[in-house]
Amino acid sequence: MSIRKAPLTRKQSRNGTSKYVLERCASINEYYDIAFKVMLLGDSSVGKTCILLRFKDGAFVGGNFIATVGIDFRNKVVDVDNLKVKLQIWDTAGQERFRSVTHAYYRDAQALLLLYDITNKPSFDNIRAWLNEVHDYAQKDVVIMLLGNKSDMAAERVVKTEDGEKLAKEYGVPFMETSAKTGINVELAFLAIAKELKHRTTQQPNEPKFQLLDYIESQKHKTGCCSLV
Amino acid sequence: MDEERQRPSVPWENGTLAPAHHLCTERADSPTPGLVEGTEPGAGQKNAMFVHAQSFEDLTAEAEEARKEAEVFGSRECAEDVGVLVEEKRVEQLNIPPDCRSKEEDVSSEAWRSHKKHMFVLSEAGKPIYTRYGTEEALSSTMGVMMALVSFVEAENNIIRSIHADGCKVVFLTKSPLVLVGVSRACRSDKELLRELQYVYYQIVSLLTLTQLNHIFQHKQNYDLRRLLAGSEYLTDNLLHRLDHDPGLLLSAVTCLPLASSSRGVISSSLQAAKSKNLVFSILLAGDRLVTLVRKKDQFLHHIDLHLVFNLVGSSSSFREGEGWTPICLPKFNTAGFFHAHISYLEPASELCLILVSTDREDFFNMSDCKQKFLDRLSKRSAYQALKEALKSRSYSVAQIGIPELRHFMYKSKSSGLYTSPEFPLVYQSDEEQGRLMALYQDLHSYVHHPTRPLRSFYRCGETENMMAWVTSGFELYLCFSPLGTKALAISAVNKLLKWIRKEEDRLFILSHLTY
Repeated sequence: MSIRKAPLTRKQSRNGTSKYVLERCASINEYYDIAFKVMLLGDSSVGKTCILLRFKDGAFVGGNFIATVGIDFRNKVVDVDNLKVKLQIWDTAGQERFRSVTHAYYRDAQALLLLYDITNKPSFDNIRAWLNEVHDYAQKDVVIMLLGNKSDMAAERVVKTEDGEKLAKEYGVPFMETSAKTGINVELAFLAIAKELKHRTTQQPNEPKFQLLDYIESQKHKTGCCSLV
Repeated sequence: MDEERQRPSVPWENGTLAPAHHLCTERADSPTPGLVEGTEPGAGQKNAMFVHAQSFEDLTAEAEEARKEAEVFGSRECAEDVGVLVEEKRVEQLNIPPDCRSKEEDVSSEAWRSHKKHMFVLSEAGKPIYTRYGTEEALSSTMGVMMALVSFVEAENNIIRSIHADGCKVVFLTKSPLVLVGVSRACRSDKELLRELQYVYYQIVSLLTLTQLNHIFQHKQNYDLRRLLAGSEYLTDNLLHRLDHDPGLLLSAVTCLPLASSSRGVISSSLQAAKSKNLVFSILLAGDRLVTLVRKKDQFLHHIDLHLVFNLVGSSSSFREGEGWTPICLPKFNTAGFFHAHISYLEPASELCLILVSTDREDFFNMSDCKQKFLDRLSKRSAYQALKEALKSRSYSVAQIGIPELRHFMYKSKSSGLYTSPEFPLVYQSDEEQGRLMALYQDLHSYVHHPTRPLRSFYRCGETENMMAWVTSGFELYLCFSPLGTKALAISAVNKLLKWIRKEEDRLFILSHLTY
């Protein structure tokens, strides 16, 4: 179950020995082929846990804000092109006092979902600081995705979609706006990550590279003039 | 006051939580009133689970003793100071912006002032850090006045301890770099309030460590600590709620889930087998009750630290699913550093929560493996089923004991630091009534732990119930009888009850403690 038992490491696959064996997990019903570590980052109360719960259980836990304590570890197995991909998701606390703990787990992560709250300008302004942290602590080839959460709260929006897009472009990371409440783009964010990671590991030399940015562009719901929200 | 505290105290005053070893071998068959510590019902057989020598007295007596104190009982000077406080509050009325924080309350309102107990935490620069009611912003000038009072007395090489005025007690606790202030109308003694302030202090230290606190304020005296505590205020809120409702915090003890000792033994040894190099404590909780605790050799857990862990786990639903991993400082163990706790529930809907405390920040996966090992081992045993059954059935009722007119009681074994108490009878089912009963117990407790005139036993007839307290070097016993009970009946009840507890002790208490 732990990453140490992950059947496939990136190195192996690059050496051309990408014969993934079916791994058996401790609890029955939970077979998977590859496991990846994904980490959720961002300021306090931008909705990291809500995004995760929406993805994991398909429900929105609104109402009271429950601050995550330290980091929280959960698994979810998803299907990617007939392959069972297990996402091991680290949900981190946004509060400053937990930074040192989260730093210790950055380097294990293969993908990072960086969130801000579109109704909270400081959370957007801090994204640059977060990206610097990521640069300092995470693996060099980590997959990063920027998410502007709470897109359902149009009336209270203070960060324009274009601003998010601009920032994402500057850092060369994919971007979309999500809503844990309506579920918009949530599944997509995790699936795109899973796809990208899966392609990276299982890619054959002659196979075309998976285009994460294009995939997202083609799939995502825009929260613009023509959308439902 | 300090002089009195330092006075050689009567033997039962300095009750230690660890039993003297020579005593444990000669356990009395039936308890007698002259019980020696370590042989009372509920005393552990081998080693105590908790750290040596910390009782209510030690907890409250540890404030800076070297410095002289200035305790002024309602002198005119202080009455004036309180006047200033009130004055300040009035001024603020004008410039408080309407806020929508749930904690938001008009700090100038009568409702705010009439809260039974206020708690404030501020930095030595006078910056607000925490208030139980209202917002810190709105109280910044009030807290400024509090700091001014502290500094004013300090300038004369003195320490302000408390102000008594207008039926109100204002108790100060300076724990550099923090200053804690409690205000209450209901408290019998300063000591009660001081004890609660200590708890709040330890709560803050457990989030940040004292080293970090000192470091921050050495570098930036006017640092706004709320930045680091953001999102954790609810822990202090809950702790204060527990202080009013949880007998464990009052008794400086922990209660156990009643469970057959054979089942508990199996669970403990399963937990013991799931060890890892850096694992220091494994704690299995059922709600607020301890199922078992395994510790590293020679490492003891203090009951305050355990209560802080209880508070952390009980206050957040964030551990309900998945596995939590968080730094936690156990201030009674070491104020300088963090432990790292792996917190998870055995089953999603279950009350059983496993806490594995490690010294290594990067030990998550080791701890996760330990948990899995424990769960695999336990689920094969019938003890797991017994444990689940024990969870389903409510504790035990006082009727089982068969003592007429006895409604409720709390019994603490001093040497093990464990207590037992039946479920509340019908009369005390409502929150209100339970709170009232707890207040009565608190009252008894403050009589038998009075700083200058501690009582050994105490009996009081009331309109709605008769209360009795009895303290020996081995145990503390607090009883609640119906108003029809008599004193003679109460005395005989004590003996009967002690016999019953002795008979049931291996179910009600954890008698043998395992180490890795």
